[in-house]
This record gives sequence, structure tokens and C-alpha cells, in this order.
Amino acid sequence: MKKEYIVGAEKSLGEIIKDIDLIPFFRSAVESGIPCVMLEDSRGDVLCHWGNPSGEGMITLRKPVYLEGEAAGYVVVRGDEPSRSRIEAAAELILNAVNTILRSSFKSVLATETHMAVVDQSYNELLETNRRLQLSEGRYRDLADTLEKQVHERTEELRQALATLLHQEKIASVGQLAAGVAHEINNPLGFIVSNLNTLNQYVSRFRDMLVLYRSAFENGEFTDENRALTRRKWGDYKLDFILPDAADLIRESLDGAERVRKIVADLKDFSHIDDGDRAGVDINREIDRTLNVLTHEIPGDAEIIRDYRPLPEFTCSPAHICQAFFNIILNALQTGKEGLKLIITTRYEKDFIRISFSDNGPGIPEEITNRIFEPFFTTKEVGKGTGMGLKVTYDIITSYGGTIEVKSVPGSGAAFGILLPVAKKENNVIREAV
Amino acid sequence: MIEYDGIDNRMVLKLVYYGPALSGKTTNLLRLHDMVEQEGRGELTVLDTKDDRTIFFDLLPFFLTAPGGLKIKLKVFTVPGQVKHDATRKAVLQRADGVAFIADSQVSEETNNFESFRNLEDNLGFVGLDIEKIPLVVQFNKRDLGNIVAEDDIRRVWEQTGIPVFMSSAITGTGVMETFRELVKQTYDHIDRRYGLMEKHGLDKTAFVGKLTLPSP
Repeated sequence: MKKEYIVGAEKSLGEIIKDIDLIPFFRSAVESGIPCVMLEDSRGDVLCHWGNPSGEGMITLRKPVYLEGEAAGYVVVRGDEPSRSRIEAAAELILNAVNTILRSSFKSVLATETHMAVVDQSYNELLETNRRLQLSEGRYRDLADTLEKQVHERTEELRQALATLLHQEKIASVGQLAAGVAHEINNPLGFIVSNLNTLNQYVSRFRDMLVLYRSAFENGEFTDENRALTRRKWGDYKLDFILPDAADLIRESLDGAERVRKIVADLKDFSHIDDGDRAGVDINREIDRTLNVLTHEIPGDAEIIRDYRPLPEFTCSPAHICQAFFNIILNALQTGKEGLKLIITTRYEKDFIRISFSDNGPGIPEEITNRIFEPFFTTKEVGKGTGMGLKVTYDIITSYGGTIEVKSVPGSGAAFGILLPVAKKENNVIREAV
Repeated sequence: MIEYDGIDNRMVLKLVYYGPALSGKTTNLLRLHDMVEQEGRGELTVLDTKDDRTIFFDLLPFFLTAPGGLKIKLKVFTVPGQVKHDATRKAVLQRADGVAFIADSQVSEETNNFESFRNLEDNLGFVGLDIEKIPLVVQFNKRDLGNIVAEDDIRRVWEQTGIPVFMSSAITGTGVMETFRELVKQTYDHIDRRYGLMEKHGLDKTAFVGKLTLPSP
């Protein structure tokens, strides 16, 4: 049950003074010869007594006890008539003592009640504070939930935007590749077709020659006339020349066809058309594949130095990682530097694959080094660059938890450094160099 | 009102002396105790003081009996003025029938007076009392000191509020009874409206105020 404490609420004598406070004192009085001592409240109820209250022929003295200025009860002392003066003196003494005890009890009760009222009130305030805190905590939790949902939505949007961007960049680089590859394929195709035309003429001469020989031998006898005829024809058809030439043409054409086959194979490797979304790849091989499809872009006097070390498998989308390398390598190849030297280094250090592409090209002007990874930023002529290349590379590398940075000394080259974290696996086997 | 018992025909009222620390609330009660006729009052209980400062409250009870037999007890309390005792102030202020705000006239105490009065407004609201309706008087104490705010300035500020203002020097007794008398008058009006002191109990304002402020010979 909850009690409400009102400072100043009325108190009865019994609520303030307890018999335990009085008994020692009343007992001493009785022991010293006073027959009976009592304390009554204002209604006459006995709060405390000591001695024999029912002695015959005794006198009764009643002295009011004041509480907050009002008579709240009586000290009652009984005794024999003959010793009245002694009883009177004792009653006065006891009254003073009771008043003293009462005053100090009263103070302590008031102090206690104020204290209780304050504690009650503080407790209620704490409850209220707690309730408000819970409310606001609830609101914040809701907010946090919504936030989380929004973050998920935004992340999904960003993921899709990146996918779209990658796709567009892929199409753009396919266009770029197509131009170079067309040239690469046209060349061998051109001489294959030309060789086949020549071979076609050679074959008709071989046929004529064979027909001539057959008719010459059909009569069973090779006449001098026939010998002269066939010799003349052999000479007219320049068969001494075209026979070895035909062999050359066929070998050349086969070479050309092989070149076309290889270009198509490189393209297929690079595009990873047959691979799944994610696979464990050897970064060294992916760089080579990228270089292969860029063969036509490599100037004749350029030098590509592959400083590879064996690397552990890296799990990624092979198509994406090739795309990332493609954009960096292509930029280096297109610097237009004579005697271009591109050094590609790969290392495995402390759970990271470190790849660097450094060239001796013109470098990147200092004022734009911190902008090259921005989308739509390009230094190429309008229409030549999408401004997306390095942005896409950046997004791909960071999507695998990696970092990419560029160091450039204008006039003496640029170096791109890539760090890719390798997921820790027990079976991380470093591939042996081929 | 602390208590109204229709069967016992008894009413217990509460008046509170409020104000900043050391503004002289206890001194007001001490002087009242000395000035009022002993028959109409009880003893002053000064509760647990420490370093001369009230940490709980002081209590001075007054009594009177209406012609119709209604016994009225009026308990006058002080509150601790220190900021940290706000919970005690709220507890004491509960069910108050009237408030005397004791301000310190010293120029240096102007901010404390202001803060304390605002605290009174807040706490009255907290315990469900309306500062516009509750009987309220203001006393500017310590007029005997130097470096005090001029009376004209005080009156100019407080006139607009309609709250009666008294100048006092509680230590000498000046203004103490006037403040109390005005508070008791207002309290009579306030209680009479709701409980019909005149109508039901035959107690008029003059008798009520007269009995509570009867000077000791």
C-alpha cells in the first residue's frame, strides 16, 4: 500500500511517541516509589503505563501534554493521598521528561516524513523521466530501423548504378576494342583472301597441266610431240615458280588464320563470356589476357616489362578485374610517348596482392591527380574518352575492399598502385609461376 | 489545505514562507512567535538546522475556534532556500493555502530573488496550484542594510503584478506582522469562498485576522 505524505499532516500522540521511548523512564519512576505512571492520548486511550493503576483510595493527577500547541494527551500519575506533594513533584518531573521526549520525537517524525515525501516525489519523477526516456528511445529505435532500411535501399540503388556503369563502360571499351581488333583481323584476312585467289589461279593451271598429261599418256605412248607440248606448257605456266609459291601461300594463310583464331580466343578470354559471376583467378594471367587484347594498341617501339611473382587465387568477377586493368593499361598505351616503357609488377605481401603499373609517359598534371577517379572526368578530346574509365576501375577495386592510388611526376611518368585484400583461407595456395 | 474534517469540525491550513537562501524566512517566524499572543499559537519548531540554515523547514502553528465551533489550525512553514533543496520545497508547498515570498533587498541578491520567484512559480505548478489564484504576498526584507534596491524601484516593478509588497526588517520586527496580516486576510477570502467561513461557521474576516494576529501584551 502506498502512503501519501503531506508535510504538516496532523498526527496523534500515539503516532509520535512509542511506549518503548517511555518505559525505561516510567519504570524508574515506579521503582523510586510512585505507584503508577501512564500516558493517555486525547481520547483517553492508554499509550503506555507502568505500575498498578487500580489501587484503592489513590489520588490521580492529570497533566496535559502539548503537541503543536494543542493538548494531545495526558501524563497520569497515581499515588497515596498522604504523599500528595511528593506525587505532585514527581508528576511535574515526569511531564517535563515526556515533553522533552515528545519534542525530539516530533522533530524526528517530521524530518522522516519530509524525507519520505521527498523520496516519493523523486521516485515518481524518476519514473516519469524513465517513461519519457523509454518513449524517446523507442522513437530513436524506430528511426534507426527506418534508417537501416533506407541505407539498404540506397546501397541497392548504388549497386545497380555501379552495375549499369560497368556495363556501359564495357560496351564503350568493346567499341574501342572492335576498332583495333577489326584492323588486326582484317590484315591476315586480307592476305588470306589474296592468297586464296592466287591459289585459285594456280589450281586451274595445275588442272590444265594434269589434263594435258593425261591426254598425252592416254594413247599408251609418250611421243616426242607430246613431250615438246608438255614442256612448253610447263614453261608457259611457270610451274617451276608457282609450285613452291603455292606451298608458301598455304603456310602464310594458315599463319594468318591462326592469328585470327588467337585474337578471337584472347577476346573471349578477356570478356570471360563463359565464366560465372565470381571465381578464383590468377591476377597475373588476367593482366596477360588484358595485354593480349590490347596488342594492336601497343606501339611498335613500346616495351612492356612483366615483373610478376606468384600470387594466391583472388576471388572476384574475372570480367570486372580485367576491365579494371584494361582501363589503366589503355591509358598508358595512349599517352603517345615514343619509346614507351610500361612496367607491371605484382607481389603478394601480408594478405594483400599489390599490383603496380608504372610508365614513363608524360605523367598526370598535379592539379588533376585528385580528380582522375571522378566520374566524367577526362583529358581526352570530346568523344574520345567517356571519363568513366578510371572511375570504373576505382569502383571495381574498392568493391573488393581494395585501394587504388596514383603517384605521378609530371614529365616522367605515372604509377598506379593497387592493393587487393586476399580473404584468409587455409588453402591459400600460391600458384607456381608458369 | 492540509485537512478538513467535517465530522470532527476541524480544519488545518498551511501557509508557506518561500524565498531565496538566507533571505530571513526563519527570522520572520521567530519574530511572529514573539509578537503573537501565546494563547493563539503553539511553539516554533525549528527543524534540523545546520550552519544556521534550514534544511527541512520551520513550523509555527496558530489556533482559533469559530463561533460555530469549527476548530481552525493554521500551520506556517518555511522552506529551505538553497537551490539543492528543491524537492523539499515541492514537498512543503503541497496543499499550501497561501504563500509569503521573502526577498532579500540587497542589490547583490536581485538575481537570486528572481530565480527563487521563478522556482516558486514552477513548483506551484508542479504541485497543482495556480499562482494567479493562491493568496500571495511579497516582502522585501533587510531594509536595515546598506546597498539595497530602492523602494521606488521595487514598487514600480511589482505594482504591475497586483501582488501586495511589504518592506521589512525582520531582525527588528518591522513589517513582519503587516506581511502576515495581509497573507492571512487573503487566505480568509480564499477559504471563505469555498468553505463558507462566515455563512456556515459565523467567522468573519476581522475576527479571523484579529485572532491570528493578536499581539502579546
